Amino acid sequence: MKWWTSNVTNPTAVIDGNSSFEETIQKNILLTNMDSMVAWSRKNSIWPFNFGLSCCYVEMATSITSKYDIARFGAEVIRGTPREADMMVVAGTVFIKMAPVIKRLYEQMMAPRWVISMGSCANSGGMYDIYSVVQGVDKFLPVDVYVPGCPPRPDAFLEAILLLRDQVGKEKRPLSWKVGSQEIIKPNKVSMKDLQGPERLKMTEIRDPDKL
Amino acid sequence: MKGITSILKDKFGEVIICAQKTKDEFPTLWVHGDHIIDVLHFLKNDVDLPFKMLYDLTAIDEQARKFREGQPKSRFTIVYQLLSFGRNAFLRLKVPLISDEPSLQSVTSVWLSANWYEREVYDLFGVKFTGHPDLRRILMPQSWEGHPLQKCHPARATEMGPFQLPDSKQEREQEALRFKPEEWGLDKNLGGDELMFLNLGPQHPGIHGILRLVLQLDGENIVNVVPDIGFHHRGAEKMGERQSWHTYIPYTDRVDYLAGVMNNFPYVMAVEKLGDIEIPDRSKVIRIMLSELFRISSHLVWYGTFAQDLGMMTPVFLMFNDREKVLEVVEAICGARMHPNWFRIGGVAQDLPQGWEKLIRGFIDYFKNKLKEYDKMIMRNSIFKARTVGIGVYSTEEAIEWGITGPGLRATGFDWDFRKAQPYSGYEQFEFDIPTGKNGDCYDRSLVRVEEIRQSLRIIEQCLHNMPEGPYKSDNRLTTPPRKKNTMKDIETLINHFVQTTWGPAIPHGEAFCGVEATKGHNGYYLIADNSTSSYRTRIRTPSFPHMQLVPLISKGYSIPDLMAILGSVDYVLADIDR
Repeated sequence: MKWWTSNVTNPTAVIDGNSSFEETIQKNILLTNMDSMVAWSRKNSIWPFNFGLSCCYVEMATSITSKYDIARFGAEVIRGTPREADMMVVAGTVFIKMAPVIKRLYEQMMAPRWVISMGSCANSGGMYDIYSVVQGVDKFLPVDVYVPGCPPRPDAFLEAILLLRDQVGKEKRPLSWKVGSQEIIKPNKVSMKDLQGPERLKMTEIRDPDKL
Repeated sequence: MKGITSILKDKFGEVIICAQKTKDEFPTLWVHGDHIIDVLHFLKNDVDLPFKMLYDLTAIDEQARKFREGQPKSRFTIVYQLLSFGRNAFLRLKVPLISDEPSLQSVTSVWLSANWYEREVYDLFGVKFTGHPDLRRILMPQSWEGHPLQKCHPARATEMGPFQLPDSKQEREQEALRFKPEEWGLDKNLGGDELMFLNLGPQHPGIHGILRLVLQLDGENIVNVVPDIGFHHRGAEKMGERQSWHTYIPYTDRVDYLAGVMNNFPYVMAVEKLGDIEIPDRSKVIRIMLSELFRISSHLVWYGTFAQDLGMMTPVFLMFNDREKVLEVVEAICGARMHPNWFRIGGVAQDLPQGWEKLIRGFIDYFKNKLKEYDKMIMRNSIFKARTVGIGVYSTEEAIEWGITGPGLRATGFDWDFRKAQPYSGYEQFEFDIPTGKNGDCYDRSLVRVEEIRQSLRIIEQCLHNMPEGPYKSDNRLTTPPRKKNTMKDIETLINHFVQTTWGPAIPHGEAFCGVEATKGHNGYYLIADNSTSSYRTRIRTPSFPHMQLVPLISKGYSIPDLMAILGSVDYVLADIDR
C-alpha cells in the first residue's frame, strides 16, 4: 500500500500536478483487501494497558514523555483498564504473589491482544533467581516481543513497539466467525541477535569511558 | 552522663544478659525475652532523653552461624533498634530465643509501629508474637509454606521446581485474594449504616505500583484503609546471603529503584565499617555528588506524578524532561541510567570522566530557573493548594511513634536530617539548610521536598568547586574489585587480585549498621559478617515500610480523592516497602 500527504509548509490551496482525473483518483482512492486494511489500522493504533510491576515501568512511562514520545508510533492511548487495551507490557519482576493477578488482567483483555515482556526479570527472572519470583512471564502468558535490559532504555522499549507493529501488520486473523479460516497465523519471530549480530561484531573500538 | 548500658544494668540487673561489641559501636545489649516489654517501656517513657522511635525490628536465624563468641545461646535472635533524638544515638537490644518453635511477647503495646515489623518477622522467620492483634503473613502469599529467611528454606526459585499456573491454582489463588472483612478485622456496619468496601489494587494507575488497599467506606468517606503489601517482595535480604559482598551491590540499586546509587551508599559504608576500610576523600565527595543528583531525579519523579495524581497533566512531562537532563549527567559519569551500580567497597567504580565539570555546570545553570517556574505552576496553584492543605495531617509525636523519617518527619516542623545530625561521608563540610514545614500535611511535605531539590543543587555546586584530587578508590586489600596496577609486578598481588575478583573478599566477622538520609527517609543496612565471602544476614531497613503503615491513620475521615493526595505525598516506592 502506498500513500502520502501534502507537506505542512505548503499552503493548502496549492495543488501539485495538473489536477487531472487520474491524479485525483490516485490520491483519493485506495485499493487493498480487507485483511491488510484491518491489520494496517491495528498496527498503527496499539492501545497499551497502563500496567507496571517495578523498575521497568518507570522507563516505560519515560517513553511516553516528550523526549521519547511514544505517540510517534501511534501507541500513546494508555488505558487504565484491561478491557479497553490491546497490548500489555509486563514491565518488571513477575512475583509469585502477583502472577495470578497478572493472568487475570491478561484474560480480561479483549482479543486481539499482545504481550511485550520488558526487562530481564519478565524475560527470564533475570537477576532474581529467588523464592518469590517467577522465572519469566512466559511460564504462564504467551509473549510476542522480549526486550532485554535491566531496565531497558526507553529507546529499547520503542524498538519493541516497532517490532510489535511489524508483527501485528503481518498477522493473519479471521475477520469474522463465519467466513474463512478461523486460524491465527503469526509471522515468525525474528532474533535481533541474528539480525544485528554481524553488524555489531564489526565494532573493534570501544569508546573510552574516561572521555565524554 | 551515665551511659545507657549502665543505666539499664542498674535498673534491670539480671534481665540484661550481657553487652556485645559491634563494629558500628552502637550499644548492643542482650535482654531476657520475658522482660522485653518492661525494658522497652522504660526506654521509651521513663529514661532521661528517651528512645522515642522504634527504628527497626528484625530477626536473625542463628543456626548456621560460626562466629558468635561472647553471645548467649540462641536459635532465633530478635533485634530491636531504637533511636533517641535527644541523645542523637541508636540502641540495639537483642533477645535470644532457644526453641525451634519460637515465640515472644508482642511489643505492639509499647509501639504501635511494631505491628508490621512483627508480622514481617513472623512471615519470614516463623517467630510467633503472643498478644499481637493481627498476626498474619504480610509479604508472602497467605498460601505460602515455610518461612523464607530461615536458613533451611530454599533461596533460589530454580531449587523449588518449575512454576506452573494451571486454572485450578489460578482459581485457588484468586479465591485466597478475595476480601473478607471479618478476616481483616473490619466491621460491616457503623452505627446501623451498612458500610461499603472498595478494593483498590494491586493494579491501579493511582497507587504507583503493585499495592493493594482495601477501603472501608461510609459513602465517600473513608472509615478505614487496610494496606495489603508483599506483591513486590523480591527477596533482597535472602539474596544478600548468597551473593558475594561485591556482587550484592547491583541488588541494592533496585531497592528504592528511583534513587539509584543512593542505595549503594549505606551498603558499601556498612561493609567498609566491617572491614575497617578507609576511603579517599575524592571518592567521598563523588559519592555525595552522585547521591544528590539522584535525590533530585527521584524528587522530580515524585513532583510530576504527584501533580498528575491531583489532575494536572502538564507538569509530569516537564519534570520527566528535567529528569532526563539529570540522567544524561548520570549516564555520562556512570554509564547507566536508573541502576548504575557505581559505588564500590572502598570507593567508586571509576574516576570522573574528563570534562565532568562542564556537564554538572550545564545542568545547574539549566535547572536553577526551572524550579521557580514550577513553583508558580504547582506550589502556588490554588487548586493544588485546595487539594493538599490540611489533608493527611500528622504531628511530630505521631511521626516519631510510627517511625517516620525524611521529608515526612521534617514536614511536621522537626528539623531532623541525618546528614546534619549524624554526618557521614563528609556531609559536615557542606553548607545546606534543612527545610521544614509546619503542619505536617500534604502541602508541607511537598514544600519540604521542593526545597530539598534546591538544597541538593547547592550541595552539588559545592562538590563541583571543591572536588579533592587523589585516588578514587582505597588501596585496602578488601576493596572490591582490587586495584590492578601492581598485579603484573609481583605474585602476591596477583594472587590476591585473582582471589578477590573470583570469590570476592572474606569480610571479618562482626556486625555493623549504616544508614543514610535517602530520598524517602532513612535507609539503613544492618549486616552480619561471618568470616565468609557473603553476608550471614542482610537486613535492609527501608523508609517506605513504616510510612505505608501510617497511611491508614492519616486517611481516616477523608474522601477517596484525598487518599490519592495522601498516597502521592507520602512518596513511597513499592520495592522500598516490600524489598
